[in-house]
Amino acid sequence: MTTVALVRTRLRQTVSFHENIALVAWWAAHLERAGAWITPGRRRQALSLLSLVFLVTSVTRKSTGAGPDLTLAPGLRALLLVPYVLGFLSLCYLGAVHFRRLPEVIRRRPQIVLHLFFWSMLVTLWLTPGSDGLWRALFAQFALILPFLLWRCGYLLKSGQRGKAANTSLADHLFYLWPVWRGSETPYGKGFDYLTRSEAQSTEALARSQLAGLKLLLLAQVWRGVMLLMRGAVYGDAKTPLAGMLHGHSLGMPWLQDLIRGTATASLLTAWVSVYCDLIWNTLKLAVKGHEYIGVLRLCGFNVFRNTYKPLLSESIVEFWNRYYYYFKELMVEFFFYPVFARYKTQPWLRTLLAIFAAAFVGNLYYHVIQQEKLLVVGNFSELWNLLHARIFYCFLLATGIYVSMLREQGRRGQPAGARGGVTRRLLRIGGVWTFYGLIHIWGVGSGQATFGQRTRFLLSLFALG
Amino acid sequence: MTQFVTRARHAEDLLHFLRTIQKPEHPLDGLDERVSLIESGLIDSLAVLQIVSYLEETYGIDFTAKGIDPGELSSIGGILDLIESERG
Repeated sequence: MTTVALVRTRLRQTVSFHENIALVAWWAAHLERAGAWITPGRRRQALSLLSLVFLVTSVTRKSTGAGPDLTLAPGLRALLLVPYVLGFLSLCYLGAVHFRRLPEVIRRRPQIVLHLFFWSMLVTLWLTPGSDGLWRALFAQFALILPFLLWRCGYLLKSGQRGKAANTSLADHLFYLWPVWRGSETPYGKGFDYLTRSEAQSTEALARSQLAGLKLLLLAQVWRGVMLLMRGAVYGDAKTPLAGMLHGHSLGMPWLQDLIRGTATASLLTAWVSVYCDLIWNTLKLAVKGHEYIGVLRLCGFNVFRNTYKPLLSESIVEFWNRYYYYFKELMVEFFFYPVFARYKTQPWLRTLLAIFAAAFVGNLYYHVIQQEKLLVVGNFSELWNLLHARIFYCFLLATGIYVSMLREQGRRGQPAGARGGVTRRLLRIGGVWTFYGLIHIWGVGSGQATFGQRTRFLLSLFALG
Repeated sequence: MTQFVTRARHAEDLLHFLRTIQKPEHPLDGLDERVSLIESGLIDSLAVLQIVSYLEETYGIDFTAKGIDPGELSSIGGILDLIESERG
């Protein structure tokens, strides 16, 4: 074996330390004593207890900033809002457990009913602007929390619909409904079905899961370091700790959103490099966050998929979408793509088109609308439009790209390995994916900070037009 | 006995179909019935829709009311169980 091959093998072994049989056995041996007590069920109960504590403290402390007439004092939040949230979660849980006994209208469209509940609260708030009162503040506070819960409760209802929530307790669900690892509106690790399918059932599986989690947490710190380096050496941010070490040396790359807004100027080449740098920056940012959440989940014994898995090596648009933000994509697929695909049995190309637009366009846009809960609660539609109008075009381009890419992928499936050309063709495909996502991100970056016209003009300037 | 023969025939047909949609770098032969097709890298989660179309066309399974459960369709065994339960 040559020195290079030896170094490569050692490096691969070091990076994949979580798969090292001896290390897994050593870790499992140390877990053995506790392993007898920490059964999957008890782990879930312990996590749910922590979730409950976290729910009470975060709901009580969190200041909403939705205006003084819509704000509850901390004492009232603990007294009224916490039981309200717990009551809602319990109701969803009971709905899932007794799904078959629910009224037909809910059984047929559980997700729509869930979201209608949220929108009915908002409409009530919009229609009663002059009326003060505790109930209104309580409604507003709850509506501010709901976007975080809607998709998670959606997964719970899906479990009920599939008959998998029967014979479960609330403690089996609370840990992902209000997770201690927090997360965003996107449920990392999805819901009960996927989490329990990925749950470690033996000490050895727990050891594997925890080592894989440890690896992700370490990787998150590595990417954090790379981001720091990028901030200092590429973007020349004077506020980074590295700035002093670099003695003011940097590439001085302008941020993409500054170029779009016109607050920075650059040559054509630099503008293109800025587009690609922004893609790398966003991928790293998402990877750090996702690796931390999934790392914690794996430490808790849920050996679930990574949220971000080498998206920059993707060779097609659809592959990038799958690897870039896995749990968001899964959310869109499960809540929009599959239902539309199952319902409309038209021609295959039209069926796929409808399903993709339902997920990547409608679902994607809807997700971002309800994410603006503070604007929704006070009914500030002009600001909502200002923030999201460019995203409409972004989602349209994304959906179109995914559709075309998916058709191409379907055509290629079943081909033998090696039929897709050598390294050069692979690099060209990767470059094409980078360019597509880099360019559509022009309409996704810095929500509300640039107009649609500014974004379009920037795109044209990249091709020396306009 | 008939049940086993039928399952074996369904498995054979399914494997034949999966070969037409699988990713080329991952071998399908010898794959355990319960191993996840997605996690083993054979297909991506969006390819599940091709499996849905196959089940609709070949076995007349209607997903409109029951919805698509990716967990159910994630392994060869899961798909065969679904075929049996829908046809049973």
